[in-house]
Amino acid sequence: MKSLGYSRRMATLATAAALVVGGLAGCAKEDTGGTTEGGVALIKAGALTTCTHLPYAPFQAPDETGKVVGFDVALVDLVAKKLGVTQEIIDTPFEGIKSGSDLNAGKCDIAAAGMTITDERKQVLDFSDPYFDATQALAVLTGNQVKTLEELAGKRVGVQGGTTGEDYIKTQVEQKSLDIEVVSYKDLAAQQQALATKQVDAAVNDLPVWNEYIKNNVGKVEVAAGFDTGEQYGFAVKKGNAELLKAVNESLAAARADGTYDQIYATWIGAKPTA
Amino acid sequence: MVFALVILAVVTAADWATLSDAFFRLDIAQGMFPEAITVALRNTVLYTLLAFVFGLVLGLILALMRLSSILPYRWFATAYIELFRGLPSLLVLFMVGYGVPLAFPDREIPGGVYGSVTLGLGLTAAAYMAETLRAGIQAVPKGQLEAARTLGMSHTRAMISIILPQAFRIVIPPLTNEIILLTKDTSLVYVLGVTSTTIELTKFAGDALNTRVNPTPLVVAGLLYLLITLPLSQLVRGLERRAARER
Repeated sequence: MKSLGYSRRMATLATAAALVVGGLAGCAKEDTGGTTEGGVALIKAGALTTCTHLPYAPFQAPDETGKVVGFDVALVDLVAKKLGVTQEIIDTPFEGIKSGSDLNAGKCDIAAAGMTITDERKQVLDFSDPYFDATQALAVLTGNQVKTLEELAGKRVGVQGGTTGEDYIKTQVEQKSLDIEVVSYKDLAAQQQALATKQVDAAVNDLPVWNEYIKNNVGKVEVAAGFDTGEQYGFAVKKGNAELLKAVNESLAAARADGTYDQIYATWIGAKPTA
Repeated sequence: MVFALVILAVVTAADWATLSDAFFRLDIAQGMFPEAITVALRNTVLYTLLAFVFGLVLGLILALMRLSSILPYRWFATAYIELFRGLPSLLVLFMVGYGVPLAFPDREIPGGVYGSVTLGLGLTAAAYMAETLRAGIQAVPKGQLEAARTLGMSHTRAMISIILPQAFRIVIPPLTNEIILLTKDTSLVYVLGVTSTTIELTKFAGDALNTRVNPTPLVVAGLLYLLITLPLSQLVRGLERRAARER
């Protein structure tokens, strides 16, 4: 009787342990995903989940009704349409996007965040074909006669933390040993606010971003200089997710071929530069 | 029992080689020094102290106003405490960092980031500390004030020489807790925009995590926070023991 009681207790313990371990393993991956007809596995059935960081107009930002719209959104919508699902957008810090942790953690299927393709990021993400040629631009308050970084000696320049703009300025400051204080802001909104409230004398971000800001704040800010860094934007998927990457690239190629890309470009960015 | 099982399950299920590679990469940890100490930890401590001193002074004034016999003083102090205790520190920081410059263009908060942090975190801390100090003052037996007054001291004199010293001794443990909370709240400072010289621990670790794509910096930063908070907790415990013995 005693031995039976002991073994029963052991069995209970073993079951409990198995449950706990199973539960822990279960936490790691929730199986609510789905697969589209084309064989692309998605983390959530019926939706292409996109990670981005808001606001980043004109690439992605909420409109008056709170719906997230923009150049990136429109292009990813094409991918979602091709897969026969709808796009769902998750707003998450840029650090998690570019480090690949959001994709690896199964937070989203694709990252679309006006993200420049870099060798560093390629180590943790698989990038699509480039979909946008980006240049960095220096924005100043209107009336500020600055044209180059050198003229900003002794001044403060705002950057968006974790972006290629920040890397570019920090490298320039180091290489040319410029006397510039680089202030890193947590997102575009904070950076623009800092420029508007004169907490920095100039700010560096992608050119289309400033163009959009100037459109909405006429006469307050102007672009003082552009830096052609040869950057290109790419969408990113989890490393090894070849099926989704193929679908993204096919969708981009199709959009470029049938003129949809140009239409979307004209809507969000403006007239296409002649190059 | 269940708790022990969970620990056992975690210990046996974990892949220790991968974990140590992810969280304890010595080379990455070493790369963070000495800046982790000379800049990040230093600023974290500095922000904490600035906000604490500001909060303590303002908190004391508020506590005295709240106990004052003059009605408008009491109203003001109560309104202030309820307002700032109810607002998230992050919101107050945004207000100070972005709201104030918008409302008062061409005026600057003195001290740059340090000034903004002092104000942003200190305004909230003052609300908490005012309540703590008030409780401390009220905990001093009434007879003490009456005795002092009988000796011919003015109310102000009695407050300064008799009541407040005793009150402060009573509130040292809760005030130390406030420092610990403030230390952690300094992680919010990065929303104000930080430079390589004004960076604090959390943002510093976040940046290192970004460039190295490895969570080791987070562990290092965590240990550095503990380096500040553990001795403080120890101090509180020691003071409480001493107070208990004296009673």
